[in-house]
Amino acid sequence: MSHARQAEGGGAGSTREPVRRSARRGRGPREGRPWTGALLCLPLALFLAAAFVAPLTGLLPQSLERTPGMLGLGAPADAVSPGGPTLANYRRAFSSRGDLAAFRNSLVLSAAVAVASIVLCLPPAWLLARQRLPGRSLLRTVLALPLTFSGVIVGFLAILVLGRLGLLPAVLRVLTGEPLLSGSAYTLGGLVAAYVYFEVPRATLTLEAAFQRLDREQQVAAATLGAGPVRRLFRITLPQVWPALLSTLAVTFAASMGSFGVALILAKRLELVPLSIYTEYTGFLDQGYAAALCLLLAGATLAAAAVLRALTRDGDWIYG
Amino acid sequence: MRRIAHPRTLGGALARSWGAAYCWLLAVAVLLPVAVVVAGAFVPAARLGMSLGGTSEGWVGGAESGVSLKWFTYVLDLYGGALAYSVVLAAVAVGAGLALAVPAAYGLVRHPFPGAKVLEELALLPLAVPGIAAAIALIQTYALVRGEWWFVAVGHVLYTVPLLLRTLLHALRGEGFEAERAAATLGAGPWQRFARVTWPRLRRPASLGALIVAAVSWGEFNASFLLATPLHQPFPAALYATYTSNSFAVSSAATTLFLAGIVPLLAVIERLGRRELMAVRQGA
Repeated sequence: MSHARQAEGGGAGSTREPVRRSARRGRGPREGRPWTGALLCLPLALFLAAAFVAPLTGLLPQSLERTPGMLGLGAPADAVSPGGPTLANYRRAFSSRGDLAAFRNSLVLSAAVAVASIVLCLPPAWLLARQRLPGRSLLRTVLALPLTFSGVIVGFLAILVLGRLGLLPAVLRVLTGEPLLSGSAYTLGGLVAAYVYFEVPRATLTLEAAFQRLDREQQVAAATLGAGPVRRLFRITLPQVWPALLSTLAVTFAASMGSFGVALILAKRLELVPLSIYTEYTGFLDQGYAAALCLLLAGATLAAAAVLRALTRDGDWIYG
Repeated sequence: MRRIAHPRTLGGALARSWGAAYCWLLAVAVLLPVAVVVAGAFVPAARLGMSLGGTSEGWVGGAESGVSLKWFTYVLDLYGGALAYSVVLAAVAVGAGLALAVPAAYGLVRHPFPGAKVLEELALLPLAVPGIAAAIALIQTYALVRGEWWFVAVGHVLYTVPLLLRTLLHALRGEGFEAERAAATLGAGPWQRFARVTWPRLRRPASLGALIVAAVSWGEFNASFLLATPLHQPFPAALYATYTSNSFAVSSAATTLFLAGIVPLLAVIERLGRRELMAVRQGA
């Protein structure tokens, strides 16, 4: 079960080192030829350089430019582009007329979604990993269903259930006489619900994998030594699952920060960063400001991931 | 290890049955909206007890009742090209992904070189960067080729190749060198070793990874929506178009077509191997 850990810790390191050493000594075994490896990786490296590294680093100089945007179209050219790099776009992002509120909303939303999806998905992850449930395979398939939905679909489903004429308000009107929750899909709470729907598969899968790796023998040993269930929970289970909880938190947080499709459908009343980027880029044609927002969003997402990664001191979990 | 009797944890059997009930409740909550959409594609919304706004209901002819397939033909007429485009994109993502990831995974594990670790981290990084940022960066850098059909494919490959690479790396690292070393001792050359020893053992993870790539590409929204031009859109972008400009019935039919593509893929993936699914973290 602990494939990954073995590979990371013992397997790869211990086989790789001797091979490389002997290669250097010129004994020439057929494995471990760095040039062959580099050559095999070349296509991927070139693709990443061209499609990822170059475009993203290209955003930096762009974000330091003051671009006219839609509002500056009529103005004389020298009025809007004073030339030379400027931090104006970043200053604007953190000013009240910029997207301070969008950043706050995105952070609050993503944090709430991360915590809520962990709480919601702990029981299924635990049961799927550790118990024999009737219909386990079906349950897994259903809970994994939204995994590769487009974000817009999740938005559409949220409107269906929590929109102004949604199902839940209709049911509540029958029950209570008032169309409660009508239109709540567009509020922060409704957005949290939609995002959590989106994150259920990811949280369940990440947690389930962690629970499968749990060392049962420690539980048995502790029980034999007389530790009660509560003590076992706090002294054994929680320390063992702690990294998995943090990694799930990181994965769901990052996914929610960057999620664009759901926001495109639902964020009518609330400002969210991905949506601001979209509006600035396609609506106001302000490429410099959009580039700055892109970099700030990517920076915030990666920073959150890095902090949680440092907390667990485990190399390989960031991506779930 | 599995046989050891597990000590009773908090609550025991009672907690387990409540837990199972809770899990199924969650599953119903996940499934219910999807079921409503699928039903809405066949049956007029009014029959489902919903009234989704007066105007649209009027001009799409919500008065008639009974099961009908006409919204599917309508969607296929209007967005059939988008559907075909998405199929092509998924195929390209799988093909290009395999061509890039199989040699790279093999090189990273079997022939590590200085900087291999850095390249590996870099190759997984697209999963952690918000999709809209990567998409806008691509458009800004390659504005001239926007509108070419393969430009969207580049975005899809960027977001799916890490998943494939992860699956393959995991498989290669779990195996060790022994079989290949034995083959080498017996005189097999590098090509023979790859074809006869390594690839047969990579086939299962590679095909699983390919299925995952196809599923992710099918639902990928950022690249599909932002990199494409309105004239030639993949299906997820067409879905957005139906949500914003068509009736509930048309949107439902389009969503049902989307589901028809993804549900079989997910079922097969679940059957073949669940662990690989966990690598999926899609920018949406």
